[in-house]
Amino acid sequence: MTGGPLLEVEELASGYGSQLVLHDISLSVREGELAVVLGPNGHGKTTLLRTISGLLRPQRGQIRLAGQRVDGQRVHRIVAAGVVHVPQGDLLFPDMTVLENLQMGAHLPAARKEYQQRLQMVHDLLPRLAERANQQARTLSGGERRMVGIGRGLMTGGRILMLDEPSLGLAPVIIEQIYEVIGRLRDEGITIVLVEENAERIAELADEVHLLDHGHIAWHGPAVDLMSRPELRATYLGG
Amino acid sequence: MDTLNQILVTGLTLGAMYAMSTVGLSLVWGALGMLNLAHGVILAIGGYTAYWVIAQMGFPLVVGLFGAMAMGALLGVVMYFGIVRQMLKSKDFETNIIIATIGIAIALENLLLRGFGGSAIPQPIQFSGGFWIGMVYVPWQNAIILITAVVFMGLLAWFLQKSRHGRAIRATAQNRDAARLMGVDTGNVYIQVLALAGALAAISGIMLSSMTTLTPGMGADPMIKAFIICVVAGLGNVGAAAIAAFALGMIEAGAQFQFGSHLGFPTLLVIVIAVLIWRPYGLFGREEVERL
Amino acid sequence: MMSAAQRALRNDIVIGCILLALAVAAPFVVDSRFAITQTIVFFIWAMVTVQWNLVFGYAGIFSLAQMVIFAFGAYMTAVIGLELGWSVWAAAPVAAVGAVGFSLILGLACLRLTGAYVALLTLAVAQIAYVLIRTETLPLGGQSGMSRFGDLGFRPMLGADWYIGNYYVGLTLLTISIIFSIIVIRGPLGLAFQALRDSPGLARARGISRLKYQLWVFGATAFFTGLAGGFYAAHFRIVGPQILSLSLLLFMLAMVVIGGRGRVWGALIGTGVLLLTDELLREVAGDYRNLVLGLLIALFVMFMPQGIAGALSAGVDKVKNRLTRKRETPSSH
Repeated sequence: MTGGPLLEVEELASGYGSQLVLHDISLSVREGELAVVLGPNGHGKTTLLRTISGLLRPQRGQIRLAGQRVDGQRVHRIVAAGVVHVPQGDLLFPDMTVLENLQMGAHLPAARKEYQQRLQMVHDLLPRLAERANQQARTLSGGERRMVGIGRGLMTGGRILMLDEPSLGLAPVIIEQIYEVIGRLRDEGITIVLVEENAERIAELADEVHLLDHGHIAWHGPAVDLMSRPELRATYLGG
Repeated sequence: MDTLNQILVTGLTLGAMYAMSTVGLSLVWGALGMLNLAHGVILAIGGYTAYWVIAQMGFPLVVGLFGAMAMGALLGVVMYFGIVRQMLKSKDFETNIIIATIGIAIALENLLLRGFGGSAIPQPIQFSGGFWIGMVYVPWQNAIILITAVVFMGLLAWFLQKSRHGRAIRATAQNRDAARLMGVDTGNVYIQVLALAGALAAISGIMLSSMTTLTPGMGADPMIKAFIICVVAGLGNVGAAAIAAFALGMIEAGAQFQFGSHLGFPTLLVIVIAVLIWRPYGLFGREEVERL
Repeated sequence: MMSAAQRALRNDIVIGCILLALAVAAPFVVDSRFAITQTIVFFIWAMVTVQWNLVFGYAGIFSLAQMVIFAFGAYMTAVIGLELGWSVWAAAPVAAVGAVGFSLILGLACLRLTGAYVALLTLAVAQIAYVLIRTETLPLGGQSGMSRFGDLGFRPMLGADWYIGNYYVGLTLLTISIIFSIIVIRGPLGLAFQALRDSPGLARARGISRLKYQLWVFGATAFFTGLAGGFYAAHFRIVGPQILSLSLLLFMLAMVVIGGRGRVWGALIGTGVLLLTDELLREVAGDYRNLVLGLLIALFVMFMPQGIAGALSAGVDKVKNRLTRKRETPSSH
């Protein structure tokens, strides 16, 4: 069940100094939808998420969350407005325990109010995190780190969850587990933006797919449509 | 046995003072990536503020203490809004901020010189007498310094480990971007850290000047020692810095006793260089994470 | 058509020749003893800052040991003069070599570390040297310093104008230092450092060892810095621990920074500007001189981090761009 537009990006341009990576991005994500942004490395997937969450300032364009503009604001305000970004590379707090990392996820007052419930939810969804609660984040395996990152994002709550290449660098078995979790989150009605290079599970999970090509959105539409268009599949999914 | 106890008393006192002057620095370095070379002059200003409040304005000792802390905190906050916030956006922040703080330090020290003169002034917060533990004589001055330091270290540790703001500070120090993504207002974190460091520096200035005297340039040596302690402990590791401070206090006391007071510091340095050759990132540090 | 690098070198040579000509002519035109002797001071400090610029601004080593190396050269010259009776003409070069050895030991100890750590370690060494000499733990004349070790020997020849002889010696030494600096920056070593700065990963992959190059620069600049120290000793005929004071160190650092890090003429500009400003402040602000100086340093690094040389070069670029745009045929833009 998807509703009205939650996240709207309009003619967004963003980059590093004089190097523009995103040139003219427009996309829209509906409430409850799982949107996937596909594209090869270097074409702007991470830049897109970083710009939406405010780590990067856009040079042109608008970003709106539930109709309110969030572009140009400071990161913590954008997060408070409801944008949760689970970044590439996990960016865990290495000298904190798993539990402390999750606690940091619930830093905002709104999240703190629901701390116990959310912690319970995260532990149910990712039981490994409960087992390793007192372990230092720095000593975790790749898959465990990924789970902590996602768990942290879930502790923050928010209105939209953005995941930057959750399958990156993980063994296929772990990727399965991660995607299973993502699927369950989707079933709960959480709005998700997923950025990936690897397109294998797309058809099953995604509602809408956006193809990112050299900083532009080359095509977007329901996953079913993409699967039925062999020329697109050939170009963007490698056949 | 007697000399050993003497070294213990001196060493713990030195260690306490070093710990007070070091942890603030370590916090700032860890959370902001900023080497604050104005730290020494803030230390001195703490001592002078206490002097001014107590000896010149006639307020009680406690007011002097809190006045100094407030002054230190204020300086930290002013530095943030005046300099740090502006410079954080630039690429070469880490080197440029060192030079900017050098400039501020030179300017402030000049003000101290003009305001209070260059001659040594006794610190009014003094305690005479002492007590015996078995065969060891412990002056009240030393005991109070040690107890104060331990109390403050305890409070700081509790704050950093158990409180929400403390956790936010640690998070910012470990990964700035991730902290922001958790909704941490890193600007506020910087203000808190600089204010805290300033207050702690001010107290350490009172302690140091109570054992010696107040002079405008008194902060230079302690500041350099504080930095060395941070380096040995490892960048940004506040707990290790506190422990290293006490350890180095003991070593210096021992070296002073053995080789004479002037060789205390150089002995320390030789040890530090040896440590760094063995472990380039400090005893408890680790390879620095990119702060992009 | 010349490449940008060749053009830069040509500009450097032109500027250098002009300045040299002016400096050579100066004692014949300017009659003030004060001006000449102050210029000698400028020469000495400029030698140090030009070398420091190479270390800090160019090779990226945040070392605060420059004055210790300078002092090493100065004190060693004095000691050789006193103990072995050598003339400063022989003692200073030997002291310079000694300074190189000293700096290499220092370099090996701290160049594996990054930025701030190097600064701290070198600062600590400087502070300790200061204390050790001042307190006579090292027998180097204590607070009052060392003297009577000889001088450049122009008195018999020039009488009361002996300082002019010193002037030309100083000018020669500074010129050699600057030529060395230009060679490093514009030559293959400079390219290597540029590569290390712009893309460190790639440079390392190509086998450019940062440590080796940094050590090389550290040692080579130490020679000229030590030599400057020897000249200082020979000119002032007294060497004291004041040259190791923190305030002088920071004053010199300000010269490098305000002048413009990494730029060929930056150090010269910075030294000149700060010495002049210092004189001015002495007149105007007197006791508040340091206050103004400190604020100036902070303001400069906040708003002009590239230094005066950087701002000038940016300004020149802007003017050049406007001129070339005017020369383009007017289009429909």
